[in-house]
Amino acid sequence: MDIDKRTQELAARLTYIRDIFGQRENSSMAMLRTRLEEFLEKAPQLGMRELSRQVAKLEELFVLLEGKLESELTPMDRVRIVRHPQRICLKDILENVYDNYTEIGGQDEWSIDPGMIIARATIARRMGKKTVHQSVMVLGQEKGHGQEFRNGGSIKPWGNANALYYMRVAEIENIPIHSYVFTPGAFPVEDYPGAAQQISKNLYVMAGLKVPIISVFSEGGSGGAEAIALADKRLMLSHGYYSVISPEGAAAIEGGLKDKATPELIEACASRLRITAADNLELGFIDRVIQEPPLGARPEHYDFFRQLRREVIRATDEVVDSVDGLGPLRGMAIRRQAKAADPQDIFVRWSLGTGARTKLVDRRFEKFRAMSRTACRDNRSLGARIYSGLEGMLWAAHSTLRHDFLTRYKRHLLHLLEAAEAELRALRQGVGGPLGKFLGLGDGQQRRLEVAPEALERLTLLSCPEEGACRLEDTWVYVSPKSREDRTLTCPNSHTHGCLDLWGPDLFGEFAGVCSHCGHHFSMEFQWYLYNVFNFAQAYEFNSELESSNPLGYEGFDLKLEQAKRQTGLGSSCITFETHIEGVTTVVAVLVSPFRGGTVGAAEGEKIIRAAERAMLKRTPFILYSHGTAGIRIQEGTCGVIQMPRVTMAVRRYIEAGGLYLVLYDTNSFAGPVASFLGCSAYQFAVRSSNIGFAGPGVIRETTGVEVPPKYHRAFSALSRGHIQGIWDRRDIKKNLHQALLTMGGKNLYYR
Amino acid sequence: MLNVKEMLEELNASPYEEIEIKTPHTGVIDFVGLNPGDRVSGPSGKWLERPGTLLANLTREKNKKPICATQKGQVMDIRSELEGKFVEAGERLLTIRHFLSKEEVIGRILKKALHLFHAPERAKYYFVPEIDAKIKAGGEQSVKVREGLDMFIVSRMKRETPLSYSGPEGMIYAVYFQQGDNVDGGQPLIGVCPESQLSLIQDVVNRVQGEWEERD
Amino acid sequence: MAQYTLLIANRGEIAMRIIRACVKLGHDFVCVYTAADVHSGHVRLARELGGPDRLFRISSYQDPSEMLAVADASGATAVHPGYGFFAEDFRFARRVVERKRPLIFIGPSWTLVRDLGDKINTKRIARAHGVPTIPGSDRPIYDEMEAVELAQTIFAFQHDQGIAEGCVLVKASAGGGGMGIEEVYDLDTFRSVYRRIRNYAKRNLSDEGVLIEQRIFDFNHLEVQVVAERGGKNAVHLGTRNCSVQSLGRQKRIEVAPGFDPSSLTYAFDAAGVLDAITRHSVNMSLQVGYDNVGTWEWIVTPRGEPFLMEVNTRIQVENGVSGITSRIKGRTVCGREDCQNGVDVISEQIRLGLGEPLGYTQQDVSFAGVGIEYRILAEDPLDRFTPCLGRIEAFGWRSEPWLQVFTQVPSMSLGDQPYEIPMDFDPNLALGIVWGESLEEACRRGADFLNGLVLQGTDTRDEPLRTNVAFLLGRTQTLLHF
Repeated sequence: MDIDKRTQELAARLTYIRDIFGQRENSSMAMLRTRLEEFLEKAPQLGMRELSRQVAKLEELFVLLEGKLESELTPMDRVRIVRHPQRICLKDILENVYDNYTEIGGQDEWSIDPGMIIARATIARRMGKKTVHQSVMVLGQEKGHGQEFRNGGSIKPWGNANALYYMRVAEIENIPIHSYVFTPGAFPVEDYPGAAQQISKNLYVMAGLKVPIISVFSEGGSGGAEAIALADKRLMLSHGYYSVISPEGAAAIEGGLKDKATPELIEACASRLRITAADNLELGFIDRVIQEPPLGARPEHYDFFRQLRREVIRATDEVVDSVDGLGPLRGMAIRRQAKAADPQDIFVRWSLGTGARTKLVDRRFEKFRAMSRTACRDNRSLGARIYSGLEGMLWAAHSTLRHDFLTRYKRHLLHLLEAAEAELRALRQGVGGPLGKFLGLGDGQQRRLEVAPEALERLTLLSCPEEGACRLEDTWVYVSPKSREDRTLTCPNSHTHGCLDLWGPDLFGEFAGVCSHCGHHFSMEFQWYLYNVFNFAQAYEFNSELESSNPLGYEGFDLKLEQAKRQTGLGSSCITFETHIEGVTTVVAVLVSPFRGGTVGAAEGEKIIRAAERAMLKRTPFILYSHGTAGIRIQEGTCGVIQMPRVTMAVRRYIEAGGLYLVLYDTNSFAGPVASFLGCSAYQFAVRSSNIGFAGPGVIRETTGVEVPPKYHRAFSALSRGHIQGIWDRRDIKKNLHQALLTMGGKNLYYR
Repeated sequence: MLNVKEMLEELNASPYEEIEIKTPHTGVIDFVGLNPGDRVSGPSGKWLERPGTLLANLTREKNKKPICATQKGQVMDIRSELEGKFVEAGERLLTIRHFLSKEEVIGRILKKALHLFHAPERAKYYFVPEIDAKIKAGGEQSVKVREGLDMFIVSRMKRETPLSYSGPEGMIYAVYFQQGDNVDGGQPLIGVCPESQLSLIQDVVNRVQGEWEERD
Repeated sequence: MAQYTLLIANRGEIAMRIIRACVKLGHDFVCVYTAADVHSGHVRLARELGGPDRLFRISSYQDPSEMLAVADASGATAVHPGYGFFAEDFRFARRVVERKRPLIFIGPSWTLVRDLGDKINTKRIARAHGVPTIPGSDRPIYDEMEAVELAQTIFAFQHDQGIAEGCVLVKASAGGGGMGIEEVYDLDTFRSVYRRIRNYAKRNLSDEGVLIEQRIFDFNHLEVQVVAERGGKNAVHLGTRNCSVQSLGRQKRIEVAPGFDPSSLTYAFDAAGVLDAITRHSVNMSLQVGYDNVGTWEWIVTPRGEPFLMEVNTRIQVENGVSGITSRIKGRTVCGREDCQNGVDVISEQIRLGLGEPLGYTQQDVSFAGVGIEYRILAEDPLDRFTPCLGRIEAFGWRSEPWLQVFTQVPSMSLGDQPYEIPMDFDPNLALGIVWGESLEEACRRGADFLNGLVLQGTDTRDEPLRTNVAFLLGRTQTLLHF
């Protein structure tokens, strides 16, 4: 071995260490540096043998100290490892983990999105003397060791759409999907198909994908990660991170957004967010950690790739085993594989039978349903919990009886009656001629137009006197307190539309916050909608005892949460209730903007899931009204992110059971929720003047350097893009909702 | 023939324009500590989405509204005696001395070079919807006009009549009125550039680009 | 008497009449004007009678915030809306009285402005109090079956009445301004028209309610001037007027008081009975709803002599003077102008009652004398489909007569005065001329005299001599009064 090359390698290792540890000086690092420098100084005088001996010693020292440094890694160091250009990337994995592969999502920069690699790959396994090549669909983000065109693995909407297409192909071909998450986050542009919209589509489809999905996390940046990571087994590389937001982003929010956050704050946020593999394993969002070499895996760590290969094969085997009972011996072997030798020696067929495919999806739902359950506070007493469990069972029985059993017979009976009535009519019309005349039913010749006195009365007297002489103007049940202030306001469109100043009491009272000239909607309190649209006074609220908590023990968050609860009188940013809209029973979930910006955490997710379940049980439509949501609650870290797949799955189950799921956006709805359970609805409407998108203009500017026009996120843009289906005037919401319920549901609502 | 040189010299002699900032409506005025000689800037940003420098606040019926600079320039004279007083609508608050930019100089010279179509009478003018849509979609210069083309809607005393273009064929080079504002009779509405004159116009643009020095 | 300061939230001729009424009643006034109106007569008059500090330049007559800001700055305690602008804007009326520094609104309570401002509501209120209204629906119809049935009944009803060609009016209940309204002559086309209107309403007005009424042809348009005091306990009427002479766009041209004149004309029906009925119904309804200021009950009278209440105008009207000039109140010598004997100044009455004074007389104290005719002089070209004209007026004048009142914002030009530019943002009203005569015949003759003596010189913007519809009236004054 060439001495020069070996010393160069050592120098590179030292640089790498310095990159990882950033500014922090460190005794081990100093020692390595001085030793290396000493060696380099002395080297010219040394003989060949001595050189070789010294280098070997130095190499040993490096191994030793790298091991020591490994134990000193902070969460932020891990972030730096993951972002380092020497970090292994998907191409390395394709080359080293799989036996053969063909890229199908484009090649290098000639791709619809070079950040997303999609490949058909094979894994060879032995079956006695035969070798069997098993196909998998491999996809994931490619950071490409710093290649510019890969965009750092930040995927544009069309990249995710392409991935989704090939996931569907895998489903048709009945082969497993291996997805590798190497993304700092999705590229937040709204160009078609739209960042949020596409991620929600991905989640929705993956929730029901009938092939095993294995995902491996290296860099799991929030929504961008979820777009391909809704998996049956979620593995994580030991030096990876999986987080709701980049530590810098969290620090910027914490620090008040204006000036750049200090490195200390970023470090603190990184550890508070609990983003490491160990943290996520403990929280239950991943199934296993794959140990990397000290200070993270790099392309030269061939042992690591072998291990990774074993792990993904094992994970796939396990998934298949859990739904498609293997032979007892193989099953046992797989389960004991932790110790066993190479899993590829035991053959497991990866294509699933029909029954197993359905079971797989159920299992997947159960898996996600169970996540983050303890991350919110349940204030119900034990008795109440048992009661609600029992109630659920009773309702289930009741629905089956009423909707499945009785309706079938009722329908038959109705059809019979209808037919009989039609027959009778036909008879009467048919005999209208001779028989009718004889019976004196009608005389065609001498028709005198004589107005009956009571008909004349209808022309001249007050109709419906019980309604009173005055038709009441639309008076609102709930009137905003803002309408009590004697002041005027300027419509933001006044310079383009010439709107006059509006008087507060008019605007927030009678006009319901709508500019009477241009129709701009000023924002209104959520109570306005609760009472004027959702008839909250007569509603039955449930699960109000489920409250937001601080599952990560995020520093300083308890206080903020208490403050939010005190200010709003709510336990979380979500209110769920059952109500009647013009006589139609519906389950409604509301995301409330004043409670921590309407952010979604574990409690909110759980409440929405339960609401969807309730709607499913009671067979009512389910309306989700977003009064405003800023995204996933970052202080809950991955407990928040995981709500994206969780709730989407619950909603999908509800829709598949035949339910009508309708989403209504108001004010500003952004990020995670829009990119998952809100965006996946087939019926999304927006209140006028609302904004919908993945990331706000400021975030887009910061992350992509693109300036977006002022009206980029307006509901009308979302409508033209095909994200939402319509825009409603606030004053007409109730009417439109009712009409939507009737036209999309029909009279005997919502179950096929 | 157009004497560009002469016109440039003329403009160079007084290279600025004085913009009077007036109250849009009644209210109590409060100057925000502005002094004569201060530099102010107009709206900025790619879409002019950021307003110009705040000049004063006007409060009416408990609604405080900012009055911002519409152009960059220098504050000339402030009627500070109005501070804290109730003022009527259209009262002059201050004057901004704005140095002409290249585009503005080009605009001024072109106004003399183009065929101008004038308002026949004092009224409000609008483009007919088709032309309005074209201008909104492709800019002014995307519209070709010819004799007899129905171009405008004239709104006067709440009644509307159509008005058709007369003059040489060409494309609209500039629009000189705001839709919905009152235009006096004889004021130019649009400037039309006949095909044959395009090279001349280009020449003006080049000359100004080369010779006009912008000042702050 | 308490002294008030009235903000006059209006312009032109009505502002001038209000200024004069204020001066007469001993109240202060504040006047507003826009840049386009600097030379308007009301600005001159306000400066003349009140001084420059009574005048405020504002950005728009239509911005309530401007009015109230001026009211606060000038210390005004009451607001007079005149006609147009805020006169029937219940939100303005509500804001005026409900703001932190409330003002008196010279006009009916805002709830009445609101309820009677809606034609459908008015119809329902009228029916609830037994006042006859146009046969048809009194609430929006949403059901096609019901609509067809209703139309059928109306056709049958017309047939029974002997109307050869029945006609039904279908209109969008939320519409207005002549949009979404169609006539139907037979039941077969009704369905398609109904659907068309309903779809129009659904698309453009987001309310698919449709009204169905009998269409009445060749009717007379009569009005009853009602005067009621605050609290709505006492109300009288100041007679009727006929406003049937209207041009395109229902612009009134000539108004005559009283509404019918059975003493000199013959009618196919009991005209005196109709007048009696409509005044009785109007005053009764006013008392029933607690109407509390001046207002106008508008009626249509069919060729068969059936009166139907059409709407209620909860404001002073342009043509109030013609009722005033023919009314007399016992024991009152107050009058609008000294050269007119014993007329009633309705605007002064409105201010007086608006400020809370009691009525002070009953219907028995009100008597009527002679005939009044009001001519509207409009800046329109009668030879060109009454297109409004703009331009400048260099001379404007008339011969002063004891039987004549002229209200105008155009300054009567003497030598050296600036020519008056006709502002383009407002209605083309230039002046109102009201003549009075013992009989209809005398009033008509005096009317012709007035118009013949009218001097109007100027040029319009196209450098043509200014023609107003005076020319039109001169030839046809007599024939147009066809009641």
